[in-house]
Amino acid sequence: MNVLLDAVGITKSFSGIRALDDVTLRVVEGERVGLIGPNGAGKTTLFNCILGTLRPDSGSVILNGVDLGSLPVHRRARMGMGRTFQRIELFSDTSVAEHLLIAERVRQGNGALWKDLLGRGRPTSDEIRRCAEVLDLLGLTDLAEEPIETLSLGQGRLVEVGRALVTGPRLLLLDEPSSGLDRAETDALAATLAEIQREKGFAVLLVEHDVELVAAFTDRTYVLDFGRLIANGPTKEMMADADVRRAYLGDLEVGR
Amino acid sequence: MLLAASTGEDLLRAVLQGAPPGSVYALIALGFVLTYKTSGVFNLAFGAQAYVSAAMYFQARNEWEWQVVPALILAVFILAPLIGLVLERLIFRHLSNSSAVAKLVIAIGLTVALPSLFELVTGFSAVAGRTPTGIIPGGSSVFYDPFGIYPLSRDELAQMAVALFGMAALGALFRFSSLGLALRAVVESPRMTELSGINADRVSAFAWALSSLFAGMAGVLIAPRFNTLMAPDFFHLVIVAIAAAAIGRLASLPRALLGGLGLGIFIALFNTFLPRWTADHGWLRPFQENLTPSMPFVILFGVLVCWPAIRREHRVVDPLSGVDPPPPGLAALTRNRRLTLITRVFSVSLLCVIGVTVLLRADVRWLFLVTQAVILAIIYLSITVVTGFAGQISLCQGAFAAVGAFTVFQLADRYDLSVLAAALVGAALAAVVGAVLSLPVLRLGGVWLAIATLAFAFFFDAVMVKFSWIGGGGTSLFQGTRVPRPTIGPWDFADDRLFLVLAVVAFTVVSFLVIQLREGTTGRMLHALRGSEMAAESIGISPVRARVTAFAVSAAIAGFGGALLAIHQENVNYQNNFSPTAALFWLVLVVSLSARTIEGAAYSGAAFSLFDSLVLRGEVFRWIFRGWVPGILPISPKWRFVLFGLASIQFSRHPEGLVEYGKRRATRRFNERFDRRERDRASQETSP
Amino acid sequence: MSPVLELRGVSASYGPFRALFGVSLTVEAGGSLALLGSNGAGKTTVARVASGLVVPTSGSVLVDGEDLTGARPHQYARAGVAHAPEGRSVFATLTVAENLRLSFRRTHGASGLSCALDRAYDLFPQLGNRRSQMAGTLSGGEQRMLSMARVLVNPPKLLIADEPSLGLAPIIIDEVYQSLRAIREAGTAVLIVEQQVGHALQLCDRTAVLGHGAVEWEGPADEATDVMVGQMFTTGEDG
Repeated sequence: MNVLLDAVGITKSFSGIRALDDVTLRVVEGERVGLIGPNGAGKTTLFNCILGTLRPDSGSVILNGVDLGSLPVHRRARMGMGRTFQRIELFSDTSVAEHLLIAERVRQGNGALWKDLLGRGRPTSDEIRRCAEVLDLLGLTDLAEEPIETLSLGQGRLVEVGRALVTGPRLLLLDEPSSGLDRAETDALAATLAEIQREKGFAVLLVEHDVELVAAFTDRTYVLDFGRLIANGPTKEMMADADVRRAYLGDLEVGR
Repeated sequence: MLLAASTGEDLLRAVLQGAPPGSVYALIALGFVLTYKTSGVFNLAFGAQAYVSAAMYFQARNEWEWQVVPALILAVFILAPLIGLVLERLIFRHLSNSSAVAKLVIAIGLTVALPSLFELVTGFSAVAGRTPTGIIPGGSSVFYDPFGIYPLSRDELAQMAVALFGMAALGALFRFSSLGLALRAVVESPRMTELSGINADRVSAFAWALSSLFAGMAGVLIAPRFNTLMAPDFFHLVIVAIAAAAIGRLASLPRALLGGLGLGIFIALFNTFLPRWTADHGWLRPFQENLTPSMPFVILFGVLVCWPAIRREHRVVDPLSGVDPPPPGLAALTRNRRLTLITRVFSVSLLCVIGVTVLLRADVRWLFLVTQAVILAIIYLSITVVTGFAGQISLCQGAFAAVGAFTVFQLADRYDLSVLAAALVGAALAAVVGAVLSLPVLRLGGVWLAIATLAFAFFFDAVMVKFSWIGGGGTSLFQGTRVPRPTIGPWDFADDRLFLVLAVVAFTVVSFLVIQLREGTTGRMLHALRGSEMAAESIGISPVRARVTAFAVSAAIAGFGGALLAIHQENVNYQNNFSPTAALFWLVLVVSLSARTIEGAAYSGAAFSLFDSLVLRGEVFRWIFRGWVPGILPISPKWRFVLFGLASIQFSRHPEGLVEYGKRRATRRFNERFDRRERDRASQETSP
Repeated sequence: MSPVLELRGVSASYGPFRALFGVSLTVEAGGSLALLGSNGAGKTTVARVASGLVVPTSGSVLVDGEDLTGARPHQYARAGVAHAPEGRSVFATLTVAENLRLSFRRTHGASGLSCALDRAYDLFPQLGNRRSQMAGTLSGGEQRMLSMARVLVNPPKLLIADEPSLGLAPIIIDEVYQSLRAIREAGTAVLIVEQQVGHALQLCDRTAVLGHGAVEWEGPADEATDVMVGQMFTTGEDG
């Protein structure tokens, strides 16, 4: 098995407070990994260190054998890291299809200025076809021409997933995809995600507060508390782990 | 020994000389920081507010012959805070959720609108050479020379005294009163202050009144330094104050005070010592002459670019900032093919009719105005690219346009190059300048980017234009910067009608290229970045590369347009056409109408060039009603600044501009009616 | 006697982002409610709605029987709702004493200020030793105490404490909860939003469990334990 993402010994402090303390996280190709922990445990900080929006004080992030060092976010994205956002981030004033088309164009890296000026910057039929495939996969075909402002939050999340998928990620980082969704919407999203993952075979790192979703979706889970990794292992074991329960429930005597 | 003594004396003299203007800078800087901290507004309009108070004081003292005290009370203690309160209540209170850039645009709009509005209301007009009087009798004629080095005038002493008093009063307010405590709390977190049972809006209204009072005071104090009361001078002043405030990182009031004083003294030192060096080193002379007035801009630019920490220090992070809902997005646009077709056919035929009428019937004046409108529309397309597409506020489009214009002038003058070829060279040169400038500036982002470009515009204005290899130097003072009209084959574009055709062709070509850019990869990348920079990066878009491209393209368009403007007027006319304050108005105009579309640029060109004659002088009514003009017309051309300046206020709610907003609303209504009719028909069919 | 706080069918959202779906809750005068649930369930939003920071998109908020829906946060504060937000919610650039002084309102009499400060220092003795220190330089636990002391300066009818244990060491959490107990015993109603379930359950009589923006369970605190374990750790298949 080929290790895809290797974040080793990540440490990060904010004004003296240690948000992450020597955290190591590994994702194998095609694997579905969860990252959970109570509020303020450092999940988001770790996520941002992996994605390059934050630079860790020490430790390194290695993607497919390449140390990412201080590469900016967009370079990491081109190396195969896709992501979604907790607070949905879509391009305002565009249609669903346009989201995917620009992602496809960036993936091809085919955007010289002179081509634009000669009128060769518009979407090609090839690109349109590829994006239509992804839309079909997500069940968004009917919404392709809709302005994103008219979508529901759940549909918006799917567009984010689609936009990331078009870039052909080997690792998809999902940042709290259930937030803002009700139970039924969360379940529907989880089902769609699972299906696509099975088909495309990329690896997933899921940061989530909804333990139920993590339990249903992931094979393996890391648990953070106070910036430290307190446990990691198969998701089912984690859910039964006493330390994990204590982190979530505090001093509540479990099974009283 | 002798030398050392005289150096020490010079130092002291420079300090004495620089402290009075420095304390005025400090006053504005204090007010500026106060507003910025309490409401997050980067209030460029302070310059305008200072001007209004100064002009009011002048009017009361010199025209109405009031005593000092009542005039001061009216101008500084009533009018200035009142303006602050009105701005807060009517405009900025409703913008607490808007982006800093939107607030900045509105402040720029106010900068344009306020002076004209004041002049229209009070009938004030600056008279050249009538020096405004200070607040002390004999302010500029009675001197004190305590050290026997530099005689300080009464005015200067008053400036320092007021600044010190202001600072002390502010310090006392902050330290000892409960209102001051509330102010400090609001600065940190308005929401948390409200949780403590304090009405944060009222506190921030007070802050606006107070800081506006500082601006007004500074305006009245500095006015005696100017020969003539002119709004642009006061705008200068606010830039200096921003430099001072930037030294204090826009966060600390004492540091803003020191920054202002320091800047005043630094400029004085510069003035004292540089001439001595240039006596020995002749090559320094042009710098001495040119750099001194632009010192504040150089310092501001330097601080911004070399000290990136400043942009991180926006405001102390409000722990409750997540509470506020995000600013509203654009109205969704559902395109309707039929409607698009109708409007296109309609507007093209309208344009053809206008074009033919102008070509056949227009006299010299109208030909000039229409051609100017078309060429300005080309320049405005540069704003479409950088502001509409890339979402960045650039305030140096005037400088880019001037690069093009001066290139044509120099190449035609020295090498006798064809002006059209020279215009292309000018565009390329402007693109290089734009790209090079954008590299350090783009890292700043948002408001700071706008301020840095403004600093560059003023630097260009104060220094670069004065060099003979750019602005033509001394000879251009007498002969003007003359530029010939081109000839291509049989066509001699000295003919105004033919030149209008050329301008229209140029506009069409540039528009076409801009549309290609928008629909192409670069435009779509910029669109994505504007929608969400984080998301755009997450799919691999490089923000820097896309924006540098946008800046370079925009500069090239501006340069080309500037060149055409110079060719059209057969003169560069730098002060009239391309000065930084003129460029401010450009921006206001374009974002008010529509920064995102080609027709927005076209309307803006027409508004700049034709609005005055058509509407304000009532010509359009004369044509339609065969000679009849409404009784209130003609009105002053200053209304142009007032109307469009105030129109920029809607930018926060409709960043797409008035034209585009109107179009969208019309489309939506059309769609709704269309849908309803369809539904009615459908229901009629189902229920016989 | 009307309840001190009543939410009736409150829905709320941040822009397009919906956080609450028809939440109804009641806190009796002098009563206590622990609001539990996983993060992201909407607990903090409930607290914000109850103190006016977030205006509900539908439903209404009653304080002491008076409808305050849509009122501003300072009006809630004046009506007797004290909200200590989550995180380090103190004015970092003001001193401890200034933080307390800021909240004090003259209606309680000019001489009341020193009394009120003394009361606060009695309740939180550590703060008394640091009166003139900048609040930003306090430790995490002290900041948390200050943020509660700050809203208690004017004796409130209801204290809303949002995650009072967040990011604190266990021993400090104990201290914070001792103070909360003292406040509650003095007759102030409390609404505690918590993840550290145990402490909150010991303190409060009643419990509401929030999930996905809706109340999933409500009842006496001593029945809540099993519900909580169930809610947070039902795995996909045996749920």
